[in-house]
Amino acid sequence: MTIADEASVDREPDEPEEEGHDALQDADAFEELFEDAPCGYLETTPDGVITRVNRTFERWTGHAREALLGTNFIDLLNPSGQLFYETRFATVLSLAGEVREVALSVRCDDLRELPILVNAIKVREADGRPGGIRTVVFDATERQDYERQLLLARRDAEASETRVRVLQDASSAFGVATTARELADALVASASTALRASSAAVLLADGTGPLELIAGDVTALELFDAGLGALAEQAIGSGDIVTVADLDQAAAILPGLDDALHGRRLTALSIAPLRTDGRVSGVVVSLFARDRVFDTESRELQAALARQAGQVLGRVRLQEELAHHAMHDQLTGLANRKLLEERLDGAIAAAARSRRPVSVVFVDLDGFKAINDSLGHRVGDDVLIEVASRLRSVARAGDSVARYGGDEFVVVCEDAAPEAAANIAERFRQAVRRPLDSVPPRYSIAASIGVAVWDPTNGAEASTDLLLRIADEAMYGSKGAGRDRVTMTTIDDATNAAHTRLDQDQRPETRWEH
Amino acid sequence: MTEKDPPPPTPGIAEDRPDPWQVCMTLTTPVSGSDVLHRNNVTLSGNPTGRPIVFVHGFGCSQEMWHAVTPHFEADHRVVLIDLVGAGGSDVTAYDPVKYDSLHGYADDILEIMAALDLRDAVYVGHSVAATIGVLAETTDASRFGALVLVAPSPRYIDDDEYRGGFERADIEGLLDALDANYFGWSQTMAPLIMGNAERPDLGRQLTDSFCTVDPEIARHFARVTFLSDNRRDLSAVRTRTLVLQCSDDVIAPATVGRYVHEQISTSRLVQLAATGHCPNLSAPDELTQAITEFIR
Repeated sequence: MTIADEASVDREPDEPEEEGHDALQDADAFEELFEDAPCGYLETTPDGVITRVNRTFERWTGHAREALLGTNFIDLLNPSGQLFYETRFATVLSLAGEVREVALSVRCDDLRELPILVNAIKVREADGRPGGIRTVVFDATERQDYERQLLLARRDAEASETRVRVLQDASSAFGVATTARELADALVASASTALRASSAAVLLADGTGPLELIAGDVTALELFDAGLGALAEQAIGSGDIVTVADLDQAAAILPGLDDALHGRRLTALSIAPLRTDGRVSGVVVSLFARDRVFDTESRELQAALARQAGQVLGRVRLQEELAHHAMHDQLTGLANRKLLEERLDGAIAAAARSRRPVSVVFVDLDGFKAINDSLGHRVGDDVLIEVASRLRSVARAGDSVARYGGDEFVVVCEDAAPEAAANIAERFRQAVRRPLDSVPPRYSIAASIGVAVWDPTNGAEASTDLLLRIADEAMYGSKGAGRDRVTMTTIDDATNAAHTRLDQDQRPETRWEH
Repeated sequence: MTEKDPPPPTPGIAEDRPDPWQVCMTLTTPVSGSDVLHRNNVTLSGNPTGRPIVFVHGFGCSQEMWHAVTPHFEADHRVVLIDLVGAGGSDVTAYDPVKYDSLHGYADDILEIMAALDLRDAVYVGHSVAATIGVLAETTDASRFGALVLVAPSPRYIDDDEYRGGFERADIEGLLDALDANYFGWSQTMAPLIMGNAERPDLGRQLTDSFCTVDPEIARHFARVTFLSDNRRDLSAVRTRTLVLQCSDDVIAPATVGRYVHEQISTSRLVQLAATGHCPNLSAPDELTQAITEFIR
């Protein structure tokens, strides 16, 4: 059976027509059945122009028949209904020949909206050409009110569930973060998910320094000069979330920001300040590829995420500070012995992999005890701070400078062959000899320096303890030879014995021990 | 659809007035061998050596909506039909809510498909939101485009100062309500497709009674992306010859919008169709075909 067959059965053609009075009565009855049926009924052209309509539909909508005839059915719908009708209803009706129980809303004559349920069927003429559309309309006011309430309740429930889940997930992700970097990574992930952002980024300032990208999309940095930086400052200054909803708003805020966003396929952004210990220390930036309306809900969610992250950031910063304390000398800020040993472990492993030499420079101050004893510990401390800063300034960028003990310093120089290590050690020696700012001119200090070089290509094994011990012994060699000099040693045979040789270039201060 | 009696599939081009069932089944040849083509359920037909013509459907439907149009192009053209991700026989598992949160996500897919098929001098025919998707693809990389046909385009549906898109933001929220209110209708039509899709997508498409299947969750998001996007700025960058087809009495894309699109694209021609409503590919396929043919002749 085809649609045409099914739909065109208004009356059985082979049934004999009844005569006279009865037929008239039947016709009246059918007409009444049509006009006053407990549902609205319409016929339209294939394009939707109403050609017949029953009284029930007139009564429900308040539109007069004369007004309805010739009107397109879609023009009776509210705008949302029109969107749905054209993009879904009409398409499926055209392809499938039928739609059932579609919920729409009709605009009544008194501007009231009547929720309806619609069944429609496409009719074909006997020759197969489209014959029009027959539509049955049910008043769905009560059902739709009820469904709408259910729908709203469901959406509310979903929204609050989403919100709770986002915050819970964020809370557990933030909870396991041990560094600001890890926290920032977790915040980028949470913000992207929560706001369905294209990307997100976290920028933090260390103290009063500038904002730096800690995690997330570098686009945030690229946009910094185009206006994002100024907006971030605004968020930090006000402590409130700053948003840009679309490109027009971006242009109004700062000419050019719109083009900068558009060029990166972005149209909107939001910036939430991160508050740590009552002070704003950074921002989380969310970037969007589509215009956004930042309603109260999304602002609150952002604020809640930023609040959680800010609190954790305080805790993480404290932990980082404690970890720093545990690994650094409080007086000079240099790495302490523990951190030095860790770094030397790493340097030896790296050298073994790369087959590049590593050197340990052991520096012991001569003349420091006299200053400490006669001028006091405070001056002694100043001298140590000054020496630490000099060592740091003449060391290479990647070298680890550590305070090893009272007036002992150790520098780990990766990728430093004997020549390079001797140069560095010589720079240290000269740096220490320069007159000190913190003591009267008659006091002076010098450095006895020992260097241990390990070249993995020599076949010798090395360890942290061994390198430190050999460098220490070389330092004592310098002390024994008259101080203020450098003694070089290498670890270059399979028995791990240290070989100290006289310096080849005959510098009086540097010697190689035998 | 409860009653249907499709005639046996007959190969070749359907005569004068193609029957929807027949066309859907005979022309659909799923292309394999490429993830991109599988993802978008790309189907090829027509003359393999002809100038390629790509048809892309809008919100709420799938490639089925071109069934009465494409047969007219098969003699001279390599006809490429696609389903946007989330619609029809596309791979819904490829749906990435971040990627597809802007029409650029869909435009990138179009460019990937054109590259995968190595299309050159292609005619791109996009209906409704797919017109905007075509504009974004062309302005990203025009190298494979020979002509753009924008059927009932609208770069922005919401009114904005002087600009009259035809809708208020509240209307779009209302559409989302309508989608939710009709959710069961959608999911019912989805059920057989999902079942059929898992192992044998080709079978699934033939066995199902449904039309224009769309994943309801994706449809909600796609509705937002479609009707809340503003792509007016992208129009002026189009360099390819463009045909703007404006329907009569189209409440979705009113005449003022068609004129706006034409004014913004310097290389465009505006043609007014007698066809009423938003979907001339369904209501007036012959007139639509003629307009496209004349433009690309």
